[in-house]
Amino acid sequence: MGTEVYIAGVGVISAIGNDVAEHLDSFEQEIAGMGDITQLETIHRQKLPVAEVKLTNEQLVKMTGLPAHVSRTALLSLVAAKEALADAAIPAMEQWRTGFISANTVSGMDKTEGFFVPFLADDNKGRLRYVFDHECGSMTEIVADELGITDVITTISTACSSSANAIAYGARLIRNGQIDIAVAGGTDALSKFTLNGFNTLMILDKEYCRPFDEHRAGLNMGEGAGYLVLISEKVAAVLGKAPYCKLAGYTNSNDAFHQTASSPDGTGSYLAMTGALQKSGLDASDIDYINLHGTGTPNNDSSEGTAISRIFGPLYPPMSSTKSYTGHTLGASGGIEAVFSVLSIKHGIIYPNLRFETPMADLPLIPQTKFLKGQKIDHVMSNSFGFGGNCTSLIFSRT
Amino acid sequence: MANKIIFENQQDKRINLADQNYITASCKIENGLVEKDGRNLFTHAGDVGSLLLAAYQHFRLSYPKFHKMDRLSKLGWLATEVLLMDSFEQGKYEPEDISVILANASSSLDDDLKYYDSVAEAASPSLFVYTLPNIVIGEICIRNHFKGEQAFFIQGNFQSEFIQQQAAYLLANNCTKCCVCGWVDILGEEYKCVLFLVEKIKKGNAALFSAVNMDEIFNSTAK
Repeated sequence: MGTEVYIAGVGVISAIGNDVAEHLDSFEQEIAGMGDITQLETIHRQKLPVAEVKLTNEQLVKMTGLPAHVSRTALLSLVAAKEALADAAIPAMEQWRTGFISANTVSGMDKTEGFFVPFLADDNKGRLRYVFDHECGSMTEIVADELGITDVITTISTACSSSANAIAYGARLIRNGQIDIAVAGGTDALSKFTLNGFNTLMILDKEYCRPFDEHRAGLNMGEGAGYLVLISEKVAAVLGKAPYCKLAGYTNSNDAFHQTASSPDGTGSYLAMTGALQKSGLDASDIDYINLHGTGTPNNDSSEGTAISRIFGPLYPPMSSTKSYTGHTLGASGGIEAVFSVLSIKHGIIYPNLRFETPMADLPLIPQTKFLKGQKIDHVMSNSFGFGGNCTSLIFSRT
Repeated sequence: MANKIIFENQQDKRINLADQNYITASCKIENGLVEKDGRNLFTHAGDVGSLLLAAYQHFRLSYPKFHKMDRLSKLGWLATEVLLMDSFEQGKYEPEDISVILANASSSLDDDLKYYDSVAEAASPSLFVYTLPNIVIGEICIRNHFKGEQAFFIQGNFQSEFIQQQAAYLLANNCTKCCVCGWVDILGEEYKCVLFLVEKIKKGNAALFSAVNMDEIFNSTAK
């Protein structure tokens, strides 16, 4: 049905860089973004490593021109979305119908948490404007206003598959002729709620995370934002340059197993990957690189690994978890890793899975551990699996 | 620019919310009583925690995960078991055609407070995963393999008209063919659960699916 969906621009900010160029540099030099907590006010400082964006809120406010009370989630979003649009450089953009499909899970919660400190001490205290942007849609609206996008504005929040679903939804709007351009992806800032919540679930590694390693002990929280500019064939025809690649397939599925855990046999991830392959008309053997969900939790990696072995075994494509660099950026991860997947095709890059030493005992999976470039990469699969069993796989293909 | 987009629903056929749907079963758990279709099936004198366990045992249910659930999930799950017992031909429906729409006033506060108390010692993962009200829908759907539309609303009191509209809209649009809907609320020793099974077919003396009939069942006392 409908038009092909091409990727015209990419933008990203995370713990390993404030733009695409800085990310490519960090990847090549194998510099991970984790470290002691410096931005977030929390009792976990010096105890839990996180992957923070290396900019203060003040610096982000200065960069974006947004008011000082705006949530870090929106600040990160605007930086990456602006980069993606500038990169796409679509001529006479106002003649097209454009959507902003942005995912997040924490929204303005960073500010709400600040509000509650004085408010709980004295309910006459606390500035209500810090609660105003608590709900997820607020972030999208703030950024859409800055970008001047008015045709379709919507927010998707499906835990850690959120921004992969935003990209799939943006593509569907284009394929169905509802819009011509979609800025799609997601954003999430660190917050006390998410850090404490994941800590409660006992799935945070006190060391730097070790995705797909037998001795993995959990994830590291991260933050950031990543967006793609998706365009229709008509827009591609006047782009004035070749698009990066196309979005060849996408599928969202659900495990229906547990609130926070994936099923042991990876039912949801199996359905997402096989569905995306089917939609793209590709065989498993066509995939040249898998950007894993690979959080580093015992549960995710064995579940995802089991599903991968069912689909790809015994001949596995190169695979890695870039969360070994960026930490787990929750609602932003699907967008950030979609950017990495597009860049993988563009530059022939296979990203290293840092700190991998010992394969999982019962799975024959060895992730890529060294940075490779100049590889021939035509098809990349990007996995994003979330709480609630919400699983999404995207496939990007060279055009 | 703003007017260029026309979504299907706005230009499409008008939706007839008055299409006939029927309450083919109901279940109520309140005041130590478990009722089905207005008949009292089980009475228990203890507190709500012991009521839930005693009812689970009385109906000879076997689902080990029940014991891990928070009380909101136990209440909604148990009521659904009784609601569907003997009166639901699930084989007639695809999993995607069965929806669940629930509401309450206390959200997941019953579990939230227990979780909050646990934080002082060691934050409990098993309490934490129930600190959302819609988890009860997840438990019901996982148990029964329902995969249709789902929604959970938080409202000050039972709004039959609102719930009726939500379900009737899905049924009229063929978004669903069957709906479990109603009210499931618990906070401390205050609790009430009233669920309705709504189908497009009239069975026996099934009542019309209307706000008036929902209210009558919601407010009635057992015979």
